[in-house]
Amino acid sequence: MADAGASPAPKPSSSVKLVLLGEAAVGKSSLVMRFVNNDFQENKEPTIGAAFLTQKCNLPTRTIKFEIWDTAGQERFASLAPMYYRNAQAALVVYDITKSTSLTKAQHWVAELQRQASPGIVIALVGNKLDLASPSSSSADDADGGDGGDEEADEGDARKVPTKTAKAYAEEEGLLFFETSAKTGERVAEVFTAIANAIPETQLKGPRGAAGGQRQEESRVNLGAAKDASAKEGCAC
Amino acid sequence: MEPLETLNETEWDVVIAGTGIQQSLLALALSRSEKRILHVDKNDYYGGAEAALSLQEAESWVQSVQKDNSTVLFTDAKIEQAPNVDEEDGPKLGFSRAYSLALAPQLIYTESKLLGHLVSSKVYRQLEFLAMGNWWVYTTDTSTTNSLQSTSEQEHKNGKLVKVPTTREDVVFSDKSVDLRSKRAVMKVLRFLMDYEQQTELWEPYSMQPLPTFLTEKFKLPTSLHNLFLALTLSPDTPANTTTAYALSRIARHLRSTGRLGAGFSSVIPKWGGLSELAQVSCRAGAVGGAVYVLGKGIAGSPTPAPTKENVSTPLNAIQLDGGDAVNTAWIVGSEADLPRSPTNLSPTRTCSRSISIISGPLTSLIHEALAEGATPSTTPIGGTVIVFPSGSLNGFADTPPVYLIVHSDAMGECPRGQSVIYASTSGKQEINALAVDCLLRQVAAEPVPKVLWTMQYEQHAGSWQEDEAVEHEGVITMKPSSLDLVFDENILSEVESAWKKVLGDDAGTFLTFEDRNSVGDDDDGDEA
Repeated sequence: MADAGASPAPKPSSSVKLVLLGEAAVGKSSLVMRFVNNDFQENKEPTIGAAFLTQKCNLPTRTIKFEIWDTAGQERFASLAPMYYRNAQAALVVYDITKSTSLTKAQHWVAELQRQASPGIVIALVGNKLDLASPSSSSADDADGGDGGDEEADEGDARKVPTKTAKAYAEEEGLLFFETSAKTGERVAEVFTAIANAIPETQLKGPRGAAGGQRQEESRVNLGAAKDASAKEGCAC
Repeated sequence: MEPLETLNETEWDVVIAGTGIQQSLLALALSRSEKRILHVDKNDYYGGAEAALSLQEAESWVQSVQKDNSTVLFTDAKIEQAPNVDEEDGPKLGFSRAYSLALAPQLIYTESKLLGHLVSSKVYRQLEFLAMGNWWVYTTDTSTTNSLQSTSEQEHKNGKLVKVPTTREDVVFSDKSVDLRSKRAVMKVLRFLMDYEQQTELWEPYSMQPLPTFLTEKFKLPTSLHNLFLALTLSPDTPANTTTAYALSRIARHLRSTGRLGAGFSSVIPKWGGLSELAQVSCRAGAVGGAVYVLGKGIAGSPTPAPTKENVSTPLNAIQLDGGDAVNTAWIVGSEADLPRSPTNLSPTRTCSRSISIISGPLTSLIHEALAEGATPSTTPIGGTVIVFPSGSLNGFADTPPVYLIVHSDAMGECPRGQSVIYASTSGKQEINALAVDCLLRQVAAEPVPKVLWTMQYEQHAGSWQEDEAVEHEGVITMKPSSLDLVFDENILSEVESAWKKVLGDDAGTFLTFEDRNSVGDDDDGDEA
């Protein structure tokens, strides 16, 4: 469950960096806004406008604090920096179920993650805009509704990517798979809960470097600690 | 693949060329303005001359330096890989992306204004800094060893590493066999340095004379101890060419920085490649602010005035990007290397021979040994150490410039666990870098003896410039080429600030000072360090 409320104190809590990837306008930011603020805005401007957003996810035995990083548009000209992938423990690769090419692009991003990101990264493939598909369409079609068009299909079903196709691909690559609607909120929280559950305990960094196998990665210089310039010599506090 | 959106015939307020540290900081500074910004780099990686490279990237970088004479900034690049790396049980290189090797590693002193700017602009939350621990001087003079004993037992028949004292405690707690007179002399110099500006009558007559002359004549400091102070200058020159005025300001900066952000260190470095990481984080801030980023696309032709349009008051420059896109922009900002103009004002006057060596062992003893009183590796996040080979210490010739080794442990995230990276630099010949690295490895008491798995060598050049301000010409702001200094160059900040002011005009606000963006970090951001 995604719950922004007070976290029960005794549960162990850990931070997880999650990166978003996917073609422009598939609803990456909307998914995050739905998860973080339980909000949806039609015709939102591209990009979130924040370095990253945080949201807690309470599991029965622990709390996961997601640090969600948006691409900030840097994927458009293939200009994502290595720091974007660095130490990401989870990735949300989003496509639009009404646009076949967006799945192709998602596959490209999965390959890129396998190349650039940490080996143990948990990747979730998410087909968004489920609200545009008719309820029956997910099971029915095999017909890969012809490429290259955003035009609305008839009968209120704009789905172009059959569930089966994407799911088969996800299974092949070992990805979590979901179809969601950021607009209605359908299955959005489930995606994040599933990711939280899929991250192995050993990969989790405690708030204070408690994780077993990890070196003291969390130890760093605190820039906020600057002391008065006069109190320097030999001060070991 | 996604169809590439076209840049052709787009219009911008600012086109920034290159993603080196200066341009990236400018992008950060402009990230909250309403300006339409296009940020391009002819390279397909971030960071320009400050980039951090994987092994594969390093190989293509070397090839491009060998091929490309268009920039005079880097020459004589080559890579050597140890021949026995493929041995069955021998130490091995990791995979390419396990490395993030900094072309221009620089220390950021804790009193640097840069750190304050990173805090006030809020980007520090995306960065992690580790400290550079103790500094060591390689000394071949046995009298030094006797007069001010090192805490290191890593003696070698030709010389040994002596810890550079920077606090009273360092001096007081150094070995008991220390000659008291020497200790007192060192203390006196340290005390003087803390507020040397107030004592102009003492040093001004010496300001253009070599530091050793000053130390001898004013403090009666034994010659054998001069190198302890010369080390802290990180001067590229021999002692005879290191002036007192230059040296004092640099040593004082070191001393004042010591202890500011924690015990036992004076400088910090961003993990995962130093300034490259900072450049990437700054560019990301630019992107979050709406700037468009395109790697692998530079400015192809000199700017020409764009045809004036009605109701547009600002004159525009028309420029051609690689690949043929034509764009218009009010401002163009870049360094000489990124702008297609003949580098008329730049004549290379300084050269730095650099090498990057990947070492098979962690060099832990060197990096963690003898931290300051009260500091332990677990409370003080140490990522490396500085080792100075004074003039002549490697080959006996006093006119050979010093060699500086900056050793990064695996904690810096620039190499796989269990390995380390040595960044060597000298204003002398490349060969003495190799001598210094060899000599250091012989000093390290470790089994198995660590060895060099991979080395990249190159020369970096810089020109000398008179003005501190960015040179502006008809909407073109040219930034200076990167500094060869081993310390972050504070002048960069004023240069970036001046460019930022030109672009934004009077309502620029406070340089690099921003509020947190909305809905970032609901709770405990910022205090998790």
